[in-house]
Amino acid sequence: MSDEYDNNKSYQAQSSETMGGSAPASPDMDYVRPAETPDQELYHGHSFITKWVFCQDAKVIGVQYFLTAVFTGIVGLILSWLMRLQLGFPGAAGFMTAEHYYQFVTMHGMIMVVYFLTALFLGGFGNYLIPLMVGARDMVFPYVNMISFWMFFIAVAVLMASFFVPGGPTGAGWTLYPPQTILPGTPGAGMGILLMLVSLSLFVIGFTMGGLNYLITILQARTRGMTLMRMPLTVWGIFTATVLAMLAFPALLVSAIMMTLDKILGTSFFMPTILQAGEVLEYGGGSPILFQHLFWFFGHPEVYIVALPAFGIVSDLISVHSRKNIFGYRMMVWAIVGIGALSFFVWAHHMYVSGMNPWFGFFFATTTLIIAVPTAMKVYNWILTLWRGNIRLNTVMLWCLGFIVTFVNGGITGIFLGNVSVDVPLSDTYFVIAHFHMVMGIAPLMVIMGAVYHWFPLVSGKFLDEKLGKWHFWLTFLGAYSIYFPMHYLGFIGVPRRYFEMYDSPYMTSAVGMNEFISMAAFIVGAAQFILIYNIIRTLKVGKKAGQNPWKANSLEWLTSTVPPEHGNFGERLPVVHRWPYDFSVPGAKDDFITQTTPPSEVVHTEVEKT
Amino acid sequence: MSDPQIEGLQLKPGFKGMSEDTGSDQTMFKGVHWGKAMMWIFLLSDTFVFSCFLISYMKGRGSTLVDWPYPSEVFALHVGGVSVPLLLIAIMTFVLITSSGTMALAVKYGYEKNRKMCGWLVLATALGGLTFVGMQAFEWTKLIEEGVRPWENPFGAAQFGSFFFMITGFHGTHVSIGVIFLFIYAYKVFAGHYENGGKRGWFTTMKGDYVEIEILGLYWHFVDLVWVFIFAFFYLW
Amino acid sequence: MHPGIIFFLVILGSVLFHIFTPWYWTDIASNWGGMDDTITLTFWVGGGVFVAVCLFMTYCVFKFSYKENRKAEYKPEDKKLEKILTWATTLGVIALLAPGLIIWNQYVTVPKNALEVDVMAWQWGWQYRLPGKDGKLGTTQVININDENPFGINLDDPYGKDDVMIQSDAINLENNRPVKILLRSVDVLHNWYVPQFRAKMDAVPGVVTFYWFEPNKTGEYEVLCAEYCGVGHYAMRGSVLVQNEQDYATWLGEQETFSDLIAKQQNLVIGDTKLAKK
Repeated sequence: MSDEYDNNKSYQAQSSETMGGSAPASPDMDYVRPAETPDQELYHGHSFITKWVFCQDAKVIGVQYFLTAVFTGIVGLILSWLMRLQLGFPGAAGFMTAEHYYQFVTMHGMIMVVYFLTALFLGGFGNYLIPLMVGARDMVFPYVNMISFWMFFIAVAVLMASFFVPGGPTGAGWTLYPPQTILPGTPGAGMGILLMLVSLSLFVIGFTMGGLNYLITILQARTRGMTLMRMPLTVWGIFTATVLAMLAFPALLVSAIMMTLDKILGTSFFMPTILQAGEVLEYGGGSPILFQHLFWFFGHPEVYIVALPAFGIVSDLISVHSRKNIFGYRMMVWAIVGIGALSFFVWAHHMYVSGMNPWFGFFFATTTLIIAVPTAMKVYNWILTLWRGNIRLNTVMLWCLGFIVTFVNGGITGIFLGNVSVDVPLSDTYFVIAHFHMVMGIAPLMVIMGAVYHWFPLVSGKFLDEKLGKWHFWLTFLGAYSIYFPMHYLGFIGVPRRYFEMYDSPYMTSAVGMNEFISMAAFIVGAAQFILIYNIIRTLKVGKKAGQNPWKANSLEWLTSTVPPEHGNFGERLPVVHRWPYDFSVPGAKDDFITQTTPPSEVVHTEVEKT
Repeated sequence: MSDPQIEGLQLKPGFKGMSEDTGSDQTMFKGVHWGKAMMWIFLLSDTFVFSCFLISYMKGRGSTLVDWPYPSEVFALHVGGVSVPLLLIAIMTFVLITSSGTMALAVKYGYEKNRKMCGWLVLATALGGLTFVGMQAFEWTKLIEEGVRPWENPFGAAQFGSFFFMITGFHGTHVSIGVIFLFIYAYKVFAGHYENGGKRGWFTTMKGDYVEIEILGLYWHFVDLVWVFIFAFFYLW
Repeated sequence: MHPGIIFFLVILGSVLFHIFTPWYWTDIASNWGGMDDTITLTFWVGGGVFVAVCLFMTYCVFKFSYKENRKAEYKPEDKKLEKILTWATTLGVIALLAPGLIIWNQYVTVPKNALEVDVMAWQWGWQYRLPGKDGKLGTTQVININDENPFGINLDDPYGKDDVMIQSDAINLENNRPVKILLRSVDVLHNWYVPQFRAKMDAVPGVVTFYWFEPNKTGEYEVLCAEYCGVGHYAMRGSVLVQNEQDYATWLGEQETFSDLIAKQQNLVIGDTKLAKK
């Protein structure tokens, strides 16, 4: 045998030859290099607390992250209802003052971007899928991983606590621009903003622990045969997003620390000389624009921290459900990496009209539009994957199609806003709101939903109900599209964002009807999300059993010894990988899929290409 | 050198070979311990934290309208009636750099399985770090007595106090955390946790190994390197 | 119903909505028609891509939906197609970027003859200052601001004495004369924005920012604050009246200068002391 490490007892003794039943055509053909790291020892919890609360199993931690993020997401959803109620039907909610409105705007934004989407994609899907997809038994540092979740949990608790302190949560807008953030003209400028900054810092610390785990697991703990170019695009997306997060969150942490000092010690990092209510405050010499630079140096990569995992996941879903390999895999990988790298050089496109040196506009407009190229390539590759596929039009695929429509729509409006002089009339209007909700709100949400329907059979062993799923999809997709598509046109009129009452110029009042319509659609879309919760509860009770590999996918997460996978994921032996996860519909093959663990000797008679 | 050799694995030569090895299966950095890879990535992230601080400092110093205080006066120490500029800082920097040297030696003896030497050297490093923190506390006290505060500064721009206390404070926190861990690790070395078949490590289910001394060493050298930048930006500029 | 039909209707609906929308930009009243043109161009290119991509997707959904006995094509890569698509996209992007940058260059290059207008913002209101006969604005400082010196003009600056002060949120501008808006804030971020002029820029405390435009249509326009500035943000309005040369000159002649204000206040003080003596 060519496998030397069979002699070495400290390594896991296994090889592809001993795994396959039939005699190989040629033993050399299936050769995979010996294991480079010894098998991971895991701490198995026995009590309820070590198994489900302070658990070190990445899968349980993933579910914990998921549930916590969904909880904050529901809070964010309710806040958005309240905002739309005020905008569509002013005065309908009697208690709503401008202070409340701005607090809801702020908390909605921060919750959805950081505590919902980031935590859900990286903490939730990352934890659950990374070890399974790369063929590891668990994250490399399970204990740190557990701490990471609990830090996130505390961060959420602190954030939620700010609803109950005197003065309420901060109402500074999710961008927290100084000086107004910490001045009395803004709601929640006392305790509210402090709790927000503390919560963000805790989130960053917790995320750093989790992020190190994701990165090292992907870089150093893959199973035998799993080369970088055989990783599913989901892993590539989460990996690149985590790298971005590790490098972007420092800027958020630093700006949070500096702002906290401005608030409680009276330093003037971001505070110039200020005259408020006829009195000159004891600040002076600071630069508000410095904060904006720091914030967007975090904030722009943050957009891709949300988008890249979505790109990765949707690629896998489209490929599996159209029974065809993802088109241009290499291009997809390099596009993800390239977008990630470029995202650090475009931050000031959020600041074209911020008063920074106007000459920056040329540079940042150019870099921003360069990003459009790899992004467009990804879109082409998704639709070319559908081309000549064998598309299952199930709920998962519908979410993917919904993603393509909303993402292309939002991506194109991004070209408007990135192109510096077009941004001038449109920035700070509803066009911006419509753009970013479409591209980083609705589009990633479509992917999350698709992923939930796709992987639920793995997590619970049961299929979610298709009929309910389709209702859920159509209500969400059509509803969300009819919220945000017309909203762009409010921006063309020139309606500014963050107005408690829509402004009442003659050309604006013509859009009152549209505003009411948008609000109604928002109520329906929000309510439609509860279909999913009902569906999950129902499925857990009476759902159809899924069994092993129900979607006939190729990647390792479906090839676990049990469904749902137990702690340690793969039973006694780790799988050995021989190919990429996209060998669907290979001419000559018995089935329309060839799993990653299928050795070449079993598929010699097919036209499969070497990967 | 320190990394275990993988049997049957030869790294390929040249740039092309490197890129093939990088993209090959199982590990990107061949034979690199998980914890060590983690520390490197953490330090990269931490580099961004300090860069953000220092860039903010440059921006703040560049845009303030009031004059920046003259460092060789503010940081001078009066010894026997003579004002010696930067004396304390020179000693602090010397102590910290020396502790980096003892740390490096500790790592060397660790891999040689010389428990005693390794332990004493880790302890020496810890004491060096403690001295540094002590001197920093002294410097802070001196400046505070002279009236420098985060929000004001009798020598010039208020931002001087803000940035000085924030950045040296943040660095001092790093050093202090390092000192705590150095003491813990010194104990663990003496207690034999890293000997063959040793006990469990910290925050991990992996068995103890002298590589952990190297990981802590990486952190310590980083903290040292950051100090060199802070030194240059605050005291020499 | 086949899902493809619904997707098709969504795309068709989007296009029809765009064509027949009653909500579109306000009639432009400044020289920045180039911005509108670039938006229109982006709509043609971007909208074309959107429609093409989505229609292709819908076609695939119709044509290749699941059949038990069909097998999908197996073709991992097509280097040539990818290359063509990359270059086509790059060309499209350049076509959009180039006009954008050209107009931005105009936007940041203020014409020499532009009238400087000092726009001062606070929570929550506006006031304006125009240069006097010397054509120059006096320098200002936030700490100088008080009841006698509402703009915080440096008293030792000779240019400041004849500055025209408009202590109201309404200002008049001359038609067809370029204006350089100098933005100043005494407390938080603000943004002086008139939808019909298209242009905007943040007012940042501690620095003076600027932008320029040339109004080319007489009439009254509403000024909005376009950067969130606290609870009163939505109510922070003002107005601009664009007039022809004559009307503007008349209006300008009626405005008070800084030295007028100083004189008036001194008279008041003198009057007070006289009263006291009596």
